Amino acid sequence: MRPVVLLATVFLLVWPAAAQAQPAGRGGPPLAAREAAAVDLTGYWVSVIVEDWKWRMVTPKKGVYEGVPLNAEGRKVGDSWDPARDEAAGQQCKAYGAANIMRLPGRLHIVWNDANTLKIETDTGTQTRLFRFGSAPPAGQPSLQGNSVATWLPAPGRGRAGAGPRPGGSMKVVTTGLTPGYVRKNGAPHSGSAVVTEYYDVNTLPNGDQWLTITTKVEDPQYFVRHYLTTSDFLKLPNAAGWAPTPCSAR
Amino acid sequence: MDRVKRTSIAAALLLGMAMLVDALVSAQGPVGPAAPPDIAAEWRLDTNERDLTSQAPLGDYTGIPFNEAGRLRSDTTPESIWGTPEYQCRPHSAPHQWRGLGGARILKEQDPLTRDVNVYHIQFMRSLDRPVFMDGRPHPPAYAPHSWTGFSTGEWIGNTLKITTTHLKDGYLRRGGPQTSDMYAMTEFITRHDDILTIVTVIDDPLYQDQPYIHSTTYTFDPTFRLNTEICNGPAVAENGGTDRHFVPHFLPGTNEEARNEWITAGGLIAGAARANVEAQDWVPLVAARGGVKTLYPEYRTTLNGGVSADALQVPTMRSSISAAKMIAAQSPRDGQVHVLPVQGSVYMLVVDGTNITASVGLDGVALVNAGSVQMSDKLLAAVDQLVKATVTPAAPNACIGANCPGAWGWSSPYMNAVISSPPPTRPIRYIINTSAAPDHTGGNPSLVAAGTGLRGAQLGGAVGNVEGAPVIAHENVLARMSAPAGKEAPTPQAAWPTVTYFDEFLKLPAYFNGDPVIVYHAPQANTDGDSIVFFRRSDVIAAGDLFSTVSYPVIDLAKGGSVNGVIRGLNNIIDLAFAEYRSQGGTWIVPSHGRLSDTADVASYRNMVVMIRDRVQDLIDRGMTLPQVKAARPSLDFDGRYGNTTGEWTTDMFIEAVYRSLQDKK
Repeated sequence: MRPVVLLATVFLLVWPAAAQAQPAGRGGPPLAAREAAAVDLTGYWVSVIVEDWKWRMVTPKKGVYEGVPLNAEGRKVGDSWDPARDEAAGQQCKAYGAANIMRLPGRLHIVWNDANTLKIETDTGTQTRLFRFGSAPPAGQPSLQGNSVATWLPAPGRGRAGAGPRPGGSMKVVTTGLTPGYVRKNGAPHSGSAVVTEYYDVNTLPNGDQWLTITTKVEDPQYFVRHYLTTSDFLKLPNAAGWAPTPCSAR
Repeated sequence: MDRVKRTSIAAALLLGMAMLVDALVSAQGPVGPAAPPDIAAEWRLDTNERDLTSQAPLGDYTGIPFNEAGRLRSDTTPESIWGTPEYQCRPHSAPHQWRGLGGARILKEQDPLTRDVNVYHIQFMRSLDRPVFMDGRPHPPAYAPHSWTGFSTGEWIGNTLKITTTHLKDGYLRRGGPQTSDMYAMTEFITRHDDILTIVTVIDDPLYQDQPYIHSTTYTFDPTFRLNTEICNGPAVAENGGTDRHFVPHFLPGTNEEARNEWITAGGLIAGAARANVEAQDWVPLVAARGGVKTLYPEYRTTLNGGVSADALQVPTMRSSISAAKMIAAQSPRDGQVHVLPVQGSVYMLVVDGTNITASVGLDGVALVNAGSVQMSDKLLAAVDQLVKATVTPAAPNACIGANCPGAWGWSSPYMNAVISSPPPTRPIRYIINTSAAPDHTGGNPSLVAAGTGLRGAQLGGAVGNVEGAPVIAHENVLARMSAPAGKEAPTPQAAWPTVTYFDEFLKLPAYFNGDPVIVYHAPQANTDGDSIVFFRRSDVIAAGDLFSTVSYPVIDLAKGGSVNGVIRGLNNIIDLAFAEYRSQGGTWIVPSHGRLSDTADVASYRNMVVMIRDRVQDLIDRGMTLPQVKAARPSLDFDGRYGNTTGEWTTDMFIEAVYRSLQDKK
């Protein structure tokens, strides 16, 4: 075989694979977050309240801070909780911010807002969180849900483009730029300095159900003596049944 | 091929390979780490979810998907059960271990050649070492023992270690009362994120829960953390002051005032000085305090204004992945086969078509406790023969060559003969001991007797040589039940009758057998009037006969002299003879008539069950209830899923009736 013919043959054999991979290949644009997903979080999820029921499903009395690492200043602020005042000030959503929204009973609807932004809608309090992958968004005004930057934590090894997430990956989200709010509906406060770090894991239960566990660490140098570390659990639902948007309640 | 051509071909191939590698690399999706993060470290419990780490008030079942049986069992089981001698060293139950204070240590045991992790060891302050096998071994059969930590296997799924645990004893979900059956399985998902360890625990108890109970918790990495250990070295402090070592603390249904006072009454005031600083929790509705599936989902909030009842709610459903009925049946497989489980010392448990036979196997021969049914005799004999060949007279490879091998007589080496000759004959059956006259224990007597050879003096007093046929030992009432006075037709053939009977409290075999002192104890007025238990003292194994079963309520045959109090006395006798190895498990092994191999705590759990039901029935009798009324009150509701039957030879109804009539007879 003549060398030129051989070269052409090898080229023709190899080129299709190379061409197919080009959009995500080295030197090309990086994979969008949606294509690079380490875990599929999309769909409807319902919270299952098995832990701290008496402080999550119902609103405890003022001053019940068991488990919340408030310092003296935080307790002082918490002790001044007045839901009527919050309502009058239009601040009945203070317990529905990023630091606590996942702890509240409700459903999540998770979709891709665009190729690099994951959106979580909650029916309780009718809130929306946006998780942006890649470069951090420009710091804007502090808000209830703040600015969330997400990164994938892929499973070990290499995945294949377009093959979907491999089991065992996770998502990490860091949220800053929060307005002051509550980590418990009875007014246990966090300040505007709070930073919320979350890890999202999905596991397949023995019965085949999908189970989402969100590990949440809230760090607040102003009101906490140390970090506030919790987990919140959700069962994946087949559809939107039970989705019931409700407004925030200060009580 | 000339040099230019070879060079061209090589260049083309290199180019091709380079392009292929580039294509493959370019086609990758996200690239993860080379391996899952290491979890072997010192970990500090670090969670702000308080109701599971702190001592919950009695009666607090919030968040637990309890069914009616789970609530009843929890309401009637007080914390003082820890004061009983059999539970005094019980470690935290598996569902609570990650929640117990004191941190966790995870170690890894690796293959010395491959450095693969074969086993993770998880340790807590109040626990036993808990191995998690990563080498792909299967879980044991259902008739293998249960332990406080169960049997765990693990596999990595991406960055998450999935652990599957079976063979767990009954215990509790949280400190303070919420109970589990021993039919639950546990699945854990452990994921390390930076310095945080997240553990999701799935407790699937089909007997006490309407759906799996799933909680999650967090630990943080702390290399300076020191994991303490709590060694149980104190005597039992029973709430009765130690006046009755057999006392079983429990509440009759509806009488647990402690739970009501502490938690679920209106006002919900927390009682007791130890909890004086806990806030009153009267914002929690009573129905929610009792747990249940419908209280776990957001829909429950619609009931808070009183407009909707919790019963009317439609909530998502999760099914259990466990069939309790199948699991229970698997402990006593009626499959027409013989399964062999090594127990301890020279003793084995043979599961013979669902009925257990205890076998002492050694150079002295074979002693069998019970003979199985007549239909299984051939398979039983074959299994015993195979067991002897495998354990006592195995064909072994030559271990020594030369004139100086131990036992060699010069160059005519017996090791040569060992290689070329056939194995020695097996050892015969020397004793058969019947623990009762039940057909599934005595049916095989004729075949086994015929296959055996009694030892000189095996007839316990006969100073003669070896005798044809193995002797059958039993209490004299067994012989009375199986035979008949002269001139009358006996219910069983004479070949099946005991040949050596005893009438005292116990009978000792005339000599050690396979290294064991063997003692046969009478259990008067128990299942019948002729029950025995057999203690292999050096091997530390007790064959319990029908006194103990892990698959049914005790069969109490009133017509043959049985009584519920006799069963309880017999179980207490087993407990008194037995000794736990460490932390209330292991040590003396107890072979039930049917079901899984057990230890002291298992017998105690069974005894507790019988006592609780007896006391409940007695209470109903005291209140003037008739038998139909007692049955309708379902005094065994929380145990029926575990031990009850609606069909078959021994139903729940029959058991309750036997208890009722037995108590009326006041035996």
